[in-house]
Amino acid sequence: MSAASRSDLGVKLAGRAEYGVDAELPGMLWAALVPSPVAHGRLRRVDLGPARALPGVVAVGADDLATLLPRGAGDAERPIFPAGEVAYRHQPLAAVAAPTLAEARRAAAVVRVEVEPGPALIDLETAFPDWPGPDGARSPHVIAHVHARHGDVEGAFRTAEHVVEETYRTSSVHQVALEPHACVATVRGDRWTVRTTTQSPFGVREDLSLLLGVPESSVVVEGTWVGGGFGGKGASLLEPYALLLARAAGRPVRLALDYREEFELGRTTLPAVIRVATAVRDRRIVGRRVRLLLDVGASLPGRDFATGYSIGFLLGPYVTPTFEVEGYGIRTNKPPFGPHRAPFAPQCAFVAESHIEEVARVVGVDPVRFRAEHLWREGATTPLGQPVGPFGLAAALERADALARRWRSEAPAGHGVGVGLGFWSTSTGAGGEARLVLSATELRVEQGERGIGSGSVLRGLVAVAERALGLPADRIRIEYLSTAEAPFDSGVYGSRTVGALGRAIVEASDAVRADLAGRMAVAVADVSLAVEGEEIVVHAPGVRRTVRSLLRPDEASRGIVATGRHFAKPNAIDERRVVTGSFYPYTDFTGAAHVAEVSVDRETGAVRVERYAAFQDVGVAVDPATARAQVEGGIAMGLGIALTEEALWSADGRLLNPHLLDYRIPTLGEVPVPEVTFVEGFLGAGPFGAKGLGEPPIIPVPAAVAAAVRDASGAHVTELPLSAERVARTLKLL
Amino acid sequence: MEGPHAPRAVPGFELVAPASVEEAIAALRAADDGGATAIAGGTDLLLDLDDGRLAPRRVVSLRRLPWRTLDWLDGALTVGATLPLRSLEDDREVRRRLPGLWQAVHAVGSVALRHRATLGGNLGRSAPASDLIPMLLALDAEVDLVGPRGERRVPVDDFVRASRRTALLPGELIRSVRVPEPRPSAYLWQRVRPANDISQIAVAVAFSPGRRHWSIAVAGMPPRPALLPDVARDLGDGAPSDAALTAAAARASRAVPITGDQRASEEYRRRLVGTLLTRAVRAVPFEGGRPL
Repeated sequence: MSAASRSDLGVKLAGRAEYGVDAELPGMLWAALVPSPVAHGRLRRVDLGPARALPGVVAVGADDLATLLPRGAGDAERPIFPAGEVAYRHQPLAAVAAPTLAEARRAAAVVRVEVEPGPALIDLETAFPDWPGPDGARSPHVIAHVHARHGDVEGAFRTAEHVVEETYRTSSVHQVALEPHACVATVRGDRWTVRTTTQSPFGVREDLSLLLGVPESSVVVEGTWVGGGFGGKGASLLEPYALLLARAAGRPVRLALDYREEFELGRTTLPAVIRVATAVRDRRIVGRRVRLLLDVGASLPGRDFATGYSIGFLLGPYVTPTFEVEGYGIRTNKPPFGPHRAPFAPQCAFVAESHIEEVARVVGVDPVRFRAEHLWREGATTPLGQPVGPFGLAAALERADALARRWRSEAPAGHGVGVGLGFWSTSTGAGGEARLVLSATELRVEQGERGIGSGSVLRGLVAVAERALGLPADRIRIEYLSTAEAPFDSGVYGSRTVGALGRAIVEASDAVRADLAGRMAVAVADVSLAVEGEEIVVHAPGVRRTVRSLLRPDEASRGIVATGRHFAKPNAIDERRVVTGSFYPYTDFTGAAHVAEVSVDRETGAVRVERYAAFQDVGVAVDPATARAQVEGGIAMGLGIALTEEALWSADGRLLNPHLLDYRIPTLGEVPVPEVTFVEGFLGAGPFGAKGLGEPPIIPVPAAVAAAVRDASGAHVTELPLSAERVARTLKLL
Repeated sequence: MEGPHAPRAVPGFELVAPASVEEAIAALRAADDGGATAIAGGTDLLLDLDDGRLAPRRVVSLRRLPWRTLDWLDGALTVGATLPLRSLEDDREVRRRLPGLWQAVHAVGSVALRHRATLGGNLGRSAPASDLIPMLLALDAEVDLVGPRGERRVPVDDFVRASRRTALLPGELIRSVRVPEPRPSAYLWQRVRPANDISQIAVAVAFSPGRRHWSIAVAGMPPRPALLPDVARDLGDGAPSDAALTAAAARASRAVPITGDQRASEEYRRRLVGTLLTRAVRAVPFEGGRPL
């Protein structure tokens, strides 16, 4: 990929790109939040008087919602400010704005908050010192309960030759986007406008409509450049507070988190405890059991997505004739659980893969062979009864195994090589629409969301349009519009940008072609586009017309407009297998086999990743350089989950390491340049058969590293991250 | 009930950059108690400002003082307080004659940080997990101070007291650090992440060829990095036997006043002390009982 082919590089390198943290408006005020001082308690009083007594300060709290919002309280289930229970430390109890940031922060500090502290549930295991019994789902701590089963699982376990039972624990990890959450809000009349750093302008619009109790048509979201999202910027976070303050002040209000607040308030992956059991007969898996306790933080009942969704990833991409799975979403006094690049799936794959490796060793079969013998292939059925579509994981595993064998033969003493698998499905979200505008000299893609740094918009979507219309990248421009003007799309998340919005672009491109063919009275299949000098020219047998000459007078200033839509309905799961709760249906099947070579210090337990390779099922790599970058980034991020990243909480709900010194993401020195191989030809639901690639590369990483650590040292570590101390304990050095 | 982290904004301050030592001392003195603070590379001061631990009215920059120096004289090394660590690291003689010091400097933060950070600043911060202080202890280094009442020389062991606490008097500045002689030496550490992290445990060892004795220092526990003279004696007057080394490592592991925290448990830290000490002593090259 040449530098010129990414249209954002110019403004970004020149420092002119406006990120959310850069956004300012004339006459705006600066805002600060008033955080809860306790993790759990009953709110007695929030006295904004001392703040309001300061010059130029505007303050809003729960009591002001009735006057500021057209329908009073907004969303009764999700009040913007709590009026009764305080559910987590740093939960915003009020917000203030002032002419400068320093004044706003001083004003926030003088707000008098009275909370009667109550017992906080922080460590999810204390909710159920023993595993939940038959009445577990009725516990007040449980806000989500999912349960599914199929076949005679009791019989399978009773008659098994081997039963392997294990318990795993995983930790809380943070997205660590370089740019914290930030926005600037303006309210004029009944128009609530917010300029914000977001992965999903339309998602934020919907959220704000519900939270503020105003129609979506009254809310306008303008997306800024996004300094990394990784799932953390998919929903609204600061926008409601900024809008309320802007309404109260009658001026624009800017609200941004500093990095410490970003750690304390951000919604992300929280800890889990997982029990897995596998029954084997004649070297075949005959039954599986999975039980999950997932910390969902202060999530509200009915708003948990993670518990049911996680179960499939805990079972892994393996055929099992019988199974029983049960998951509990445990409400704790932490910020609500939120998405982090392939939410919780890397942790699930770590469990699934480490466990299947253990099972293979107990049974006495080569772990890779054991996996290959049980792996889903096209035509197989998932445990929840979905038919498996084109799936490159078996091909990826075969190649990964060959490389792992070679690396193992070359590895010096103290090194080990491991293979880990992960699977995923391209999310369709709520669907989306693409709008193309073909002018005399360029093709514009009009949309609401900007790239979030990955290149999926600025290279991925451009490459789709290039391929669909045969125009060069330098004639394709993405124009960012607010939600008032852009076509609806669900947003840049769920690995869906190329996979879902790309499909809409292909459909819109087909519409452009059809339109041109109609104007030229030729067959659609005969139409091709080219650039000649400044002009875009349409060719058909015996005809050559410039686009300029085809434009109607009313189109001269804009161009030919065409739209395309996309919504892929997932295959239904077999509801007969569901006892209760909702599970996650897959739209397509993608994944990867990764190979890690590590060295393990046998005296300290320290792990170093020496070499890394990925065999990634991509369907079709629409833009290979960007696809490679996605894989490299996923691996780097996955190595953090595997080895060093872990948010730590005190017993009273304080985040102990809300800063980048003690919350450790990998640096370049810890990330070897990976070998990346695309496994192509197993086509997905995206354009030209592409599959989503934003999330899949992170999923197998902790599993591959854990397998390599075990190969190198014998340490079968059942807890993430694989810190040196954990490895040392597993090796019985302590 | 401890309140949440208060929302912050760094308050303003006056920045001065005196051209002479006298002016610098005067500038520090002129702002009364705690009102002024010195800045060299700023890598610690910026964190203190951001976290609200310090809110000085005046910051006295030392950048114009002629202290970015590195001199060898009669075998002794003198490092000016404001010399960036990266310059110390790039000096071939340091690497050859004081390998442990080079390793300790190389262990600090990251390359970018070492271009800013200084030896004087590191001593002034006096962090329990400092990479440089344990090595300076093992090298019997001394600190040259200059202040309103003149100059004085203090052993590092007397200068460092606890985190952010040193023997510096009001208005006094660290001018340079003196390492008396080249010593075969080694510095080893263990961290969660190799770069941009601080050590769970670090061990500095040095052998004085003239006095034929070992010095051992450990960092990573409160209140400060410490010398372990009993452990050093266990190692004898040359290359230790395996038995002597094992005994020394066991004693060190037992005797060091370590606690556990979120970076490592006490148990793990004790294990690291023994392991790193053994490896560090073995890393010091000897041949026929004499250091190479």
